Amino acid sequence: MTAPAPDGALVRFAREVGATGPVAVEGGRTRWDTGGDPAAGTRLLRAPAGIVEHRPEEMTVRVRAGTAVDELHDELAATGQRTALPRRGGTVGGALAVGENDVCVLGRGRVRDAVLQVRYVSADGVVVTGGGPTVKNVTGYDLPRLLVGSLGTLGLLAEAILRTNPVPAVSRWFRAEGAVPFKAFDALFRPSAVLWNGCTTWVELEGHAADVEAERRALVAATAVAGGWSECDAGPVLPPYRWSLRPSELRRLHEAAPGGPGAAGGAGGPGEAGEAGGHGASIGEPSGLGELVASIGVGTVFSSRPAPPRPPSPALAALAARVKHEFDPGGRLNPGRSVDPAGSVSPR
Amino acid sequence: MRGRPVSADPLVAALCAVLGRDRVRDDAAERALLAHDASVFAGGAAGPVCFPTSTEEVRAVVRIAASHGSAVVPRGAGTGLAGGAIPLGRPVVVVTTKMNRILEVDRDDRIAWVEPGVVNLDLTKHLRPLGFHFAPDPSSQQACTIGGNVANNSGGPHCLAYGVTSQHVLALDVVLPDGEVVRLGGLDAEPPGYDLRGAFIGGEGTLGIATRIAVRITKNPPAVRTLLLAFDSIEEAATVVGRVVAAGIVPAAMEVMDRGITVAVENFVHAGYPVDAGAVLLVEVDGPEAGTALDAERIAEIGRAGGATSVRTAAGEEERALLWRGRKTAFGAVAQIAPSYYLHDTVVPRAALPQVLRAVYEIAERHGLMVVNVFHAGDGNLHPLLLFDPREPGTLARVHAAGREIVEVSLAAGGVLSGEHGVGVEKRDYMPLQFSDVDLDHQNRLRRAFDPACRANPGKVLPSGHSCADIQSLERLPAGVWA
Amino acid sequence: MTTLGLDPEELGRCVQCGLCLPSCPTFRVTGDESQSPRGRIALMRAVEHEGAPLSAPVRRSFETCVQCRGCETACPSGVPFGHLMARTREVIVQSGLSTSRPVRAGYAALGRPRLVRAAVRAAALGQRLHAVPASAGLPPLPLRQAPLRRTGSDAHLFTGCVMDACQRDVHRDTVRVLAAAGFGVEPTGDRVPCCGALHAHAGLGRAARKLAAGAVRALGDGLPVLVNSAGCGAAMKEYGRLLGSDAARELAGRVFDVSEWLAPRMANLPEVRPLDLRVAVQDPCHLRHVQRVHAATRAVLAPFVRELLELDDDGLCCGAGGSYAFFERREARAIRARKLASIARSAPDVVASANPGCSMHLAAAGVPAVHPMTLVARALGAQGGARGAQGAQGRLGS
Repeated sequence: MTAPAPDGALVRFAREVGATGPVAVEGGRTRWDTGGDPAAGTRLLRAPAGIVEHRPEEMTVRVRAGTAVDELHDELAATGQRTALPRRGGTVGGALAVGENDVCVLGRGRVRDAVLQVRYVSADGVVVTGGGPTVKNVTGYDLPRLLVGSLGTLGLLAEAILRTNPVPAVSRWFRAEGAVPFKAFDALFRPSAVLWNGCTTWVELEGHAADVEAERRALVAATAVAGGWSECDAGPVLPPYRWSLRPSELRRLHEAAPGGPGAAGGAGGPGEAGEAGGHGASIGEPSGLGELVASIGVGTVFSSRPAPPRPPSPALAALAARVKHEFDPGGRLNPGRSVDPAGSVSPR
Repeated sequence: MRGRPVSADPLVAALCAVLGRDRVRDDAAERALLAHDASVFAGGAAGPVCFPTSTEEVRAVVRIAASHGSAVVPRGAGTGLAGGAIPLGRPVVVVTTKMNRILEVDRDDRIAWVEPGVVNLDLTKHLRPLGFHFAPDPSSQQACTIGGNVANNSGGPHCLAYGVTSQHVLALDVVLPDGEVVRLGGLDAEPPGYDLRGAFIGGEGTLGIATRIAVRITKNPPAVRTLLLAFDSIEEAATVVGRVVAAGIVPAAMEVMDRGITVAVENFVHAGYPVDAGAVLLVEVDGPEAGTALDAERIAEIGRAGGATSVRTAAGEEERALLWRGRKTAFGAVAQIAPSYYLHDTVVPRAALPQVLRAVYEIAERHGLMVVNVFHAGDGNLHPLLLFDPREPGTLARVHAAGREIVEVSLAAGGVLSGEHGVGVEKRDYMPLQFSDVDLDHQNRLRRAFDPACRANPGKVLPSGHSCADIQSLERLPAGVWA
Repeated sequence: MTTLGLDPEELGRCVQCGLCLPSCPTFRVTGDESQSPRGRIALMRAVEHEGAPLSAPVRRSFETCVQCRGCETACPSGVPFGHLMARTREVIVQSGLSTSRPVRAGYAALGRPRLVRAAVRAAALGQRLHAVPASAGLPPLPLRQAPLRRTGSDAHLFTGCVMDACQRDVHRDTVRVLAAAGFGVEPTGDRVPCCGALHAHAGLGRAARKLAAGAVRALGDGLPVLVNSAGCGAAMKEYGRLLGSDAARELAGRVFDVSEWLAPRMANLPEVRPLDLRVAVQDPCHLRHVQRVHAATRAVLAPFVRELLELDDDGLCCGAGGSYAFFERREARAIRARKLASIARSAPDVVASANPGCSMHLAAAGVPAVHPMTLVARALGAQGGARGAQGAQGRLGS
């Protein structure tokens, strides 16, 4: 009666992983040095690939870790669906191991909220199932959430069941110069993204056509910018590094930005905006964010400069170490990689 | 215990030294009361009952309990339905109801810091003037606490669109079972490290005690439409639910009630529920005005095409509130039919709903039991309530036998054991039906990392053969508990 | 071993869902299961079915209950909590485990109106001489009150014990409003000295039944009985169950809260300029949770005041609870603190309360609490050029 047994591909993967020797899984290498390179001598494997089962009426998809994210999105798009995984190349397993959210996270949801079930190969080489196949489930401990973002240090992802969502009828991007991005964010009910680079603001609106149009009007009314809002094909190009800030810290960033309410003069280059970023108290004393795109209401800042490490408290580090030790007592899974303290630094 | 001076029990004396005598209760009455929650399980036995008011006090209680070799069980309002807060083996019970302050609301970060004893609905009422709410809305939301929501990763009707508790908790201050205090998660976009926040939520008090919780606050939707559809049969209602989702609509909530429960509910709320229908489907859509109206129309169409005998739209906020009050008090209302109920909480794929529901009625009939169904149809989360009179000899055995069959049917249909109530003590022995030994061993590893010494809520979640379950036996109320 | 003699079906109706918890004032202020309806029912069951003794903590759990019955409107299972608690209290008293002799004497005096009035006058005099400390928690009491006169025979106006001694002005306002609507009333006065509600709450069942029987005998003429005290009205509507006689049921069927009776007859009242006041409606528990006619208060008040405000606490008890505010002072004040906070949030000019216990309890904390009839009378009076009705506490507009 337990969940259907792992299929042959997963069993073969488990056999490859085995129970001894340092081992890591290679995906599309789009985020390979996140958390550090695996130690020398680490055996590199590929996870099994393929979409096992897409059930549009259940809004779920069972997919193997080695599947390309693009392939998954294409399959889903054929039935008018999508997932929270950021569409930036790479594999499903890699995207889950890193755990980064899409830049339009407000509209697409967080990656860790989309994972219903994981199957991973443990340090002793057996397939473990955590979570369940249904869209709602609190049976037992939440291993799926623990695995997302764990960089393959607790188990090697082999397969996942993801929640899917209908693609909205309409998705439109708008941009304006000199708009106060927070006014835009507060005026909108459920924007998919509000991005700001120091002078330009981009907004993605999604939903029924009439709602998107109404939201657009609300946006125009709330921000009153001289040049007005123009429609564009996509959001900005994102600088390579991710900083994780509180949404409220972005407001302070804005206040201090050239052209912001705290500065005299017109819009400055985005490169200078970061010099005022020292307000981000929770991120230590950064020398600056450099060129940036900030995700308003979320707190992610895409920057040209790497974020400083944020070491955890001793008690939290001890707890994390106990978790690592329980799941991988011999330290053979992705040796040399660590989710702490460099977890917020991920070159693109 | 009665009549013995406080100091006679060194554990109680030590607790009193920290909390004062009026916030440590050790009389038989208090301990007997806290041996129960809202479930039917009757094997609990509480030790001293503590009412801390701060993280520091919780930490002190946990440390004192540990130094006396006693386990600790946290408890909120005691509205759990799986026995998660039922103390086994006389542990120290840590009641969080006096930690009920809303500490901070930050509209820029869209969060509220709350203490664990804050009542779910109180937070939403507090946020109402600001235009926000706390999205998880379990049916017990008028009574249950946020701490309990965190422990059970609670859902509720509106988690269909908004997601369960874990999606709405950003950070937690937790007293670990060894007395260390850690902050899990963070208010920033992507806190570094393992997602121990996510791992902690739904831990049912076995991973520590949350003493401060940062929850996400959600903007109130500009428009809401609530539809009540009547059907001749529950299978028709369930089929329509699947068709709505297949049409690419994600309503805020989709709830089904069968005739038995609808009659009981209507008798209490007088909301105008159709008592002659085989089943009713309550659907709510929300969001911007135009799309909400459009979705409501399409749902009504799908409903009519699927055999709805009537489609009614709530005329205003008052009618809407009344309909929801009916749905949310449904469990209590069954007492009008029978004095006790036992329910399961399985989730099945939406497409399997009609077939599983048929099986549920068949199982109940075969065991000579009455069953009523009220459930979160949108995400396939069943709540079959087996109604019985515990005074009838032999009934409980039949109830448990029928319950097990319902679980088996649900899992065979590709479902899971619990959608939102948690495993607690009621369902822990069903866990091997869903998970292999290896799976359970890995869950236990997570638990062991948080609680190597088995001090936090022992005997819950994992079945015997795994973890701390072994050290507890589930006996009847110990004889002489009142002496 | 004590048994409570409770109806097993009524006791068995609770399914422990806990939905009652937030509507219980004592659970709200303590967070303690033993101070909740669900906990109290569990303890009743323990005593009844498991041989649990009526130990001090168990008795304490029962005695701290305000008997507001807010849990009854919250309970989807329909547990008749008020009856279970009244019966439980009665057994405790019969067992000699509670209620001291002086307290019993005090309750006995309630059936003797002259004694009550004398006591209130003494207290009022004490207040004037500053001999009664503010910590006694009493609102300002009247020193002298003119007698109430009969104005007709359309209905009885039940005048009661404490209320008549402390707030006869409210009766006078009620008579004036009814007269404006074209109805004359007979004040019951000393013919019906007390409804017995406080006795029933205290577990003095025999005294309560004696007073009730007296009222049934005195009011047997078939006229409607109008009551402007929510607690008294609730008790009298339950005479049928208390006494079990046809005569009692018949009387109970023609007992009305004065607003309940007036609401469908509002067309009889003249249209006047509303008072320039923002009025928060405080629902007495026995009006909202027992009689369940609190909507009438709003219907009656609405035309006569500038704005009606709702409190945001879903009708949670104020802690007055008849004599509760005297005997459980600490709990009563903690409960009242929540009500005061709710009132402060709605920021009214005055608070309308249709129960003397509530208004005195609130007034003692400085709340300008007035009876709805007083407000209506004032609006009518101001229009007609007559003397504006004064609130019982005389704070209107101050």
